[in-house]
Amino acid sequence: MTAKPDWKQTDIIHVDQPELSMTERMYLPQIFGGMKTTLRHMFKKKLRDETVVQYPEQKRQLRKEIYRGVHRLNRDDQGRVACVACFMCETACPAHCIHIEGAESPWPDREKYPIKFDIDELRCIYCGMCEEACPVDAIELTPEYHLVGGSREEMIFDKEKLLNIFDRTKDEKPRKNPNITGY
Amino acid sequence: MPKIIVDGKEIECRDKIPVLQAVLEAGGDVPHYCYHPGLSIVASCRLCLMEMKMPNPKTKAMEWTPRLFPSCQTPVKDGLEVRFESDKVKDNQTHCMEYFLLNHPLDCPVCDQAGECYLQDYSLKFGESTSRMVEPKNKNPKKDIGSKTLLYADRCVMCSRCVRFCNEVAGTGELAIINRGSRAEIDVFPGVPLENKLQGNVVDICPVGCLLDKDFLMQQRVWFLKSADSVCAGCSAGCTITVDANEGKVWRLKPRYNPGVNDWWMCDEGRFGFKYVHDPRRLNRLTVRRGAELDYPDWSALPEIVTLRLESVVKKDGAGSVAVVLSPFMACEEAWMLASMVRCIAPQAALVCGPAPMVGEDEAFPKGGNGHPAKFMIRAEKCPNKRGIEMIIAGLGGPTLSFTDFLKQAGEKKIAAAWIVGGSPTEWVGDDLKKALGHIALVIAQDIFPSAVTDAATVIVPSCSWAERSGCFVNVDGKIQPFEAGINPIEGCQRDGNYLYAVFGGEGLYSAEKVRALMAKQMPAFGQLHVPPPVPEHAH
Repeated sequence: MTAKPDWKQTDIIHVDQPELSMTERMYLPQIFGGMKTTLRHMFKKKLRDETVVQYPEQKRQLRKEIYRGVHRLNRDDQGRVACVACFMCETACPAHCIHIEGAESPWPDREKYPIKFDIDELRCIYCGMCEEACPVDAIELTPEYHLVGGSREEMIFDKEKLLNIFDRTKDEKPRKNPNITGY
Repeated sequence: MPKIIVDGKEIECRDKIPVLQAVLEAGGDVPHYCYHPGLSIVASCRLCLMEMKMPNPKTKAMEWTPRLFPSCQTPVKDGLEVRFESDKVKDNQTHCMEYFLLNHPLDCPVCDQAGECYLQDYSLKFGESTSRMVEPKNKNPKKDIGSKTLLYADRCVMCSRCVRFCNEVAGTGELAIINRGSRAEIDVFPGVPLENKLQGNVVDICPVGCLLDKDFLMQQRVWFLKSADSVCAGCSAGCTITVDANEGKVWRLKPRYNPGVNDWWMCDEGRFGFKYVHDPRRLNRLTVRRGAELDYPDWSALPEIVTLRLESVVKKDGAGSVAVVLSPFMACEEAWMLASMVRCIAPQAALVCGPAPMVGEDEAFPKGGNGHPAKFMIRAEKCPNKRGIEMIIAGLGGPTLSFTDFLKQAGEKKIAAAWIVGGSPTEWVGDDLKKALGHIALVIAQDIFPSAVTDAATVIVPSCSWAERSGCFVNVDGKIQPFEAGINPIEGCQRDGNYLYAVFGGEGLYSAEKVRALMAKQMPAFGQLHVPPPVPEHAH
């Protein structure tokens, strides 16, 4: 049995492509019209200064507290990695770009720490779910957005690289919460 | 069958079981820590308390009693009326949960039990959202109690399941509760570590993250693991297990309830004996030796290669010169397909049951059982399917040889071609087989590790471990138990069932059920599988 369509033949309206006039067929008036707008913006200095950012000489003004750029792994006040390798970020990550390997920590105040912490920055969609999920605020997104690499392997950021980003950005964006130790 | 009334609903239950078990079997959820159907009942956690109707001593009328009763310690009786859905019972549950959580650390993010922890589950379902505790929490030490087990004393809820397990099932009694009240701790006696062969089970029955497996410690979060119902290939006892794997790697094995076979338990040898699955020395390339040269054909060429080679031997030396050595590590389906295929080419081919490794003697638990029936057995026969191979060989009929006769005939140059299946995680090729191999012109070796057989073979077929295959094993009691694959085969390998099905000439893709249906036509025994009954959803 075939399902009966819920529309009637009379519902169909045939629309023909409108015939183009002589000027329209030449395309030139439209091209000049478009160029006029471009030229207007080029020579209006005020409009240009307000909207155009002369990247890379000029940088965009970011709201640093909330901008979601490249990740960093925070250090605690003793300079150790703050992460406790709980895998919450890996669990929350919708792009599956975080890969952690946990191990028993060498410090008495903590149970577990990551021996490996890799983020595939090419796979990441910068949604910030990892930051939300982290129970110790160890992973954060930074205002840094220059993300360049020569190869795919280079773009898989390991623990050292992520800790370096913290060192680089901690003045620009201080760590949100104090580190949590002891349960 | 007695009928009891739980919260106004009548349920029918088995005789001589506690009310708790009856409610769990009827699908209800009653919180419990200390009750385990495989252990004695102590009623110490007080979580499963219920209200019960009893005759009033004065009026003799049936009334709800003022005090609560532990449902784990109350046997069912026809007409018994109990209730869990009352304020008194619910208050008790909430208060108990608050006590359990008084000193419990909030370290779920780093605790390996998180995700399968009954303190988490019950706290969510029966507990309060906040703690009223203002004093600093007691911090108990982390203890190394045995070679495979760690004890995090501050996570303990004192259910004493582990202590009872060591006393009643293992029979070694290493664990004990020391001190009283809030200072109570699980501990081992000085100088006597937890070293029985079933110690992995204390980790399984621990409802919280107090006892942890050193092997699995901090390896994976449990919610990443995918479980497949399997059967342990460590010995011929045939314990049903689950293979917990993630991203193509087996992380742990857990026992699966199977009354009469392994109940709730499994031994450490089986539990930690899966490591060879990821051994880098494993064979992973289909190889054909052409003189001194090695050729690596595609898997799709395998049926043609083996058929042509076996046919040429049959033409030259006759059908009686072919032998198939079926390994007791193969699944029944695989063995049947291989034997049937070879019998198609060489109808007089001899079927041989390969050697079954024997280590020591059968070991019964509890230790020092004083003549009581054993609760758990570790078998000396360290292969999963010797009975199954024997059943297949008997079922197919035709010429058969014992392994020693096969070696003798090979030595007398009566065998020109042999398909020899290995699959043992340990070195299995003896000197007599090594000697015999020199007299066999065509050896087709199917094994997981390089051995003397693969060295002498013309065609080397890399085999898979049991965790990568599916089929059925016949255990020492003759129970036919199906198992599923937990992971995909390692790179370069194919499931033994898949290529044997292609060689066998089956239609479509391999599935164990399909082949079993074909087998059952020849051997009706394979129509009857032993599948353990499901475990109640809320039982643990």
